[in-house]
Amino acid sequence: MQVGSQSISQRATADAMLSSQRKDQSTRRSFGLDKIVLILVLLYLLIPLGATFVFSIHDGKNFSLGSFQRIMSDADFLTTFPFSIELAIATTILMVILITPTAYWIQLRLPQARPIMDFLTLVPFGVPAIVMAFGLIQVYSSPNTLVSVLSLGLVPFLSNQLNVVNTPPLMVCAYVIIALPFTYRPIDNNLRAINTRVLTEASYSLGSGWWRTFLTVVIPNIWPGIISAALLTFATVMGEFTIASLFSIYTFPIYLDVTGQNDPHKAAALTILSFTITLICVLGIILLVRLRPGGARKDSQIEIGAAK
Amino acid sequence: MQIGATDSMGDSRSSSGTAIKTSKPRCINWSYSITSWLGFVPFFIFCLLFELLPAVMVVQNSFVDSNTGAFTLNNYQRIFLEPDKLHAFENSISISIVTALIGGVFGFIAAYGIYNLRTKWLHNLIVGFSSVAANFAGVPLAFAFIATLGVTGFITTLFINWFHIDLYSHGFSLYTFAGLILVYIYFQLPLMILLTIPALGAIRPEWREASTNLGASNFTYWRRIALPILFPSLIAAMLLLFANSFGAFATAYALGQGNINLVPIQISFVVNGNVSLDTGLGNALAAGMIAVLLIAVIFYTAMLRRISRWQGR
Repeated sequence: MQVGSQSISQRATADAMLSSQRKDQSTRRSFGLDKIVLILVLLYLLIPLGATFVFSIHDGKNFSLGSFQRIMSDADFLTTFPFSIELAIATTILMVILITPTAYWIQLRLPQARPIMDFLTLVPFGVPAIVMAFGLIQVYSSPNTLVSVLSLGLVPFLSNQLNVVNTPPLMVCAYVIIALPFTYRPIDNNLRAINTRVLTEASYSLGSGWWRTFLTVVIPNIWPGIISAALLTFATVMGEFTIASLFSIYTFPIYLDVTGQNDPHKAAALTILSFTITLICVLGIILLVRLRPGGARKDSQIEIGAAK
Repeated sequence: MQIGATDSMGDSRSSSGTAIKTSKPRCINWSYSITSWLGFVPFFIFCLLFELLPAVMVVQNSFVDSNTGAFTLNNYQRIFLEPDKLHAFENSISISIVTALIGGVFGFIAAYGIYNLRTKWLHNLIVGFSSVAANFAGVPLAFAFIATLGVTGFITTLFINWFHIDLYSHGFSLYTFAGLILVYIYFQLPLMILLTIPALGAIRPEWREASTNLGASNFTYWRRIALPILFPSLIAAMLLLFANSFGAFATAYALGQGNINLVPIQISFVVNGNVSLDTGLGNALAAGMIAVLLIAVIFYTAMLRRISRWQGR
């Protein structure tokens, strides 16, 4: 800590005073305002979790696991929970298939497209999920010439031939977009860190083609980025309420909302379940990605998904 | 391009590679760049279909009368004429500003506390927990608060049993605007912590030492050195917090079941077929949201540019 005191030997006494002063400061600071606020903030974050946990197992007068048992025998839970898991897996797979090759391609051949990519990943901040869902319903339910022309005829095809409006496939596509701000970045950061061009050229010179290089050389090297993007996507979809509500599709968060209106103890148990899913996903990212030696430590700011 | 860069083997090799490429005939360059862009097409079409067109459609339809299909500014006029729509905007903007400020200030101080922690495992544990808490939002968060501070919530009953104070008879209610502020702060705080810690990492301990050697007090150090450097990062983070709560729908809906008047709630009424609202008005509300968030995003990118200028990131 007292680095400054080494260099100036003549003023040893002054330095000693300074360093002792600093020590005072640091000891005072360790019980200072920042630590007090930190403790209060942590309490603020922990108390609702603790209270919910107690609420879920304290059924009426005594402790019981009744609310968890009631959930397990609830037919709606048994349909919506696996359904949400399916949606989450589908979204995660689509996200990886769509973003990883594109990010690699941009890194390798098309750095000019970076500003476009930055723009596309920033759009979900400006267009929140509720607006996006509202827009999607209008795009795919009412025919519009401007939209048909702009989409090269794809929108009329999707809405008339495949009838996608308010269906799970459209919802999965919307989820991929919602997840974009925090899925592209970790993958891209990883690609930047591994010297993609040299790896690719080495692989080419050994006779592999583009796909082989991508699948057997690039993917294994950017695995941490893909994992963290995938787990965040999964957690987000498991909690996404807005789009499912506007599309009237009965998913797990909708079931949670409906249940909560009648049975707060059951809702508390479901909340704990939902929290556990988030916890597992984020812990997975931390354990698999960030605590690895040389893992991308600077990515901490990216681990924010969550559908509010 | 980088022909001059010959300080390492790798660089000289890559520069000779580009030199060969640029010396090739132009038509090959053209086809190379066309195939390059073709690789971007699938992703771009996906974004066009599910990201850009919905936004374009909302903005376009906000200028269209939903009954006649003619161009009109009527939808925007109605926002200002109907008190509850204007109120929704006031509520949404004020809750976002209030929670961004509270979350921003306390989140920043807490982040500084984490930054000062000397025990590494505790530091990692708290940052990890913040990641979990920042991702814990929406309907489950609303119910966590109902279980804590609702009518029969844990803390509410605790207050009645221990202090004989009934919070709800003293005018407190979780299911109102004030209650929603408490719930929003829950996800704003950890988000601010996660956004601030990297910015704090850019502060060099040497700066404090230098300023202390020159006789600066703790207060002077913060006012003249640390805060001016951190300022753009903090504003950028708070703008993200603002956007984060401005677009939030699930939490508010689950808590108030539509009784808290916010813009997202009003938009959901349009879709769910509330009689007092039509699509045109809904689109004007949605376009208004985009406009507010656009301002936030513009300031955010301006701040990011400042951060990269000051902190070399």
